[in-house]
Formats: sequence, structure tokens, C-alpha cells
Amino acid sequence: MNPWEESLREALRRKDAPPGFSNRVLARVRDLRAREKRPWFRAFLARPALRWAAAALCLVIAVSVAFWDQQQRQRRQGELARMQVKQALRIASVKLNAARRMVQEVNQGTAQSRL
Amino acid sequence: MNARNKKIRSGALAAFFVAMLLGTLSMPAFGQNPRLDIKNLEALAKKASEVVDVNLDGSLLKLASKFMTDEDDREALGIIKNLKGVYVKSLTFDEPGDYSEGDVEAIRSQLQAPAWSRIVSARSKHDGENAEIYLMTATDGGSVLGMAIICAEPKELTVVNIVGPVDIDKLSQLEGKMGIPRLEEQTDESGQKPEGHRAKP
Repeated sequence: MNPWEESLREALRRKDAPPGFSNRVLARVRDLRAREKRPWFRAFLARPALRWAAAALCLVIAVSVAFWDQQQRQRRQGELARMQVKQALRIASVKLNAARRMVQEVNQGTAQSRL
Repeated sequence: MNARNKKIRSGALAAFFVAMLLGTLSMPAFGQNPRLDIKNLEALAKKASEVVDVNLDGSLLKLASKFMTDEDDREALGIIKNLKGVYVKSLTFDEPGDYSEGDVEAIRSQLQAPAWSRIVSARSKHDGENAEIYLMTATDGGSVLGMAIICAEPKELTVVNIVGPVDIDKLSQLEGKMGIPRLEEQTDESGQKPEGHRAKP
């Protein structure tokens, strides 16, 4: 047997797999399948740094929305108060002048009044 | 020694009473409140066909003043600047007699001297109109602490209560501005005023 045949036989000799090899292969297959099924955001959040960044971003957005909402609410309340002020002053002014006119009427002898 | 103690005690008592008296006098308008209680009119609101209800306390007035940035608002802003509250209740009824004199009296009873002074009381028997203007001034007689207007017409009852140093002249001059029509402008071709404003200017 020449050396070439010897090395070929050596290479083709049947070898047993190392212990736990099949379990490792099956586990890896399961892992690959699970990764394929996992939604993108889960894959994204799997990294701790990205998880913290996402949490911080959510917090910033929530605070901004709350602040904006409060500003809007305050603006609406302010506008309503402004309208009410104008309405109140309008009524007060009209009634004040109506009373003054009634007094003037008295002076002209067209109404009875007391001062 | 006993007589001396008695003297000291009676002196302290006198000082206490003088302090109490001064304290009472220095309170705004003898402890009466420039804010009127007009809750009794809320029951009338159910009968009314139109209701205007404005309740603006100091914080709301401050908030409103932040938004009064238009040129038109400048005069109104000047009026409300130092006010502590503006309260208006105006009720319009379909029929005369939907409110009673007792309803008005409940408001009027709060406007008692010496805190309040009635500066105008005008009554028109012909139209059944009754208008009263009251002022609450500080005990020194200088600053105005509050104002109340009661305007009772057969189908309309209006109560205005302004708390704080209100400038009546400025308030009166608002007519013709801020969308408030001047009554002269409302006169129709025949020279008649619209209902509710029959008095001549």
C-alpha cells in the first residue's frame, strides 16, 4: 500500500461524533428558527444599550407630549378666560352706562330716580 | 401694690380693646367681602332662556391677561390688571315675572353700608327697569375694593360683581370699543332705541 492510499484510508476512516454534538446541533437549529420567528423590535431590544436608548426615547416623547398637551390646554383655558373677560367687561360697561343714562333721564324728567 | 396691679390690668385691657377696634377698622370695609354670593341666582338659571355666567377669579384673570395681546385688548387689560375677580350673572327670561323681587333682595342685602355705598339707583316705572351701582371703598375712603351692578328689567336680571380696584370711568369708556356697540350707533332711522336701551344718551 503506497503512502497515498494509506492517507486516503486514514481520512475516510469512520469517526464517532464528539459527545453532545447532536444536542448542540439541534439547539443551534432551534435557536436559528426562534430568531427567524422573533419580531424585529424584539431583536432590536435584545441589545441592552439599544433597550436603554429606546426607553429614554419613549420617556422624552412622553414628557414632550405631556408638556405640549398642558401648553395646549393652558392656551385654550387662557383664550376662554380672555373671551370671558371681554364678555364680562362688555356686560358691565353696558349696564353701567345704562344706569348712567337712566340717571340722566331723571334729570330730563322722563323717569323717576333716586340718587 | 394691689391697686397698682389693678391699674396695670385695666390698662392692658384697654389697650387690648383699642387694638381690637383698630384691627377691625383697618380690615377692608369693616370685614365685609367685596365678593358677592350670587349662588341664589343659579336656581333661576333653569327658568331663564339665556344665561351668561362668568366666574373669573384672580388666577384666571392673570391667565387671561397673558393672552390679551391684541391692540383691542389693551384697554380691557388696563381694567383687569389689578382685579381679584370678575363675576357676572345675566339671565334673560321669556316672560316677565320669572324672577321675584326676593331674588334681587338676596343680592341687595349683601350690599349694606358702611362697607358698600350705593352710588347710583335709577328706576324707570314706565319700563320697569331698575339699575343700581354699588361701590365698596377702603375705610380710608380712597381706593375702591369692589363694585356691584344690579340691573333688573322685567325679562332680564343682571348682576355684575367686580372685586378689586376697578376704574369705573375706564369701564364706562369701553362702550363703543371692544365690539361693544355705542347706544347712539344702535339708534334706528326713526330715532328709537332698541328694547332694553330706551334711555336717551
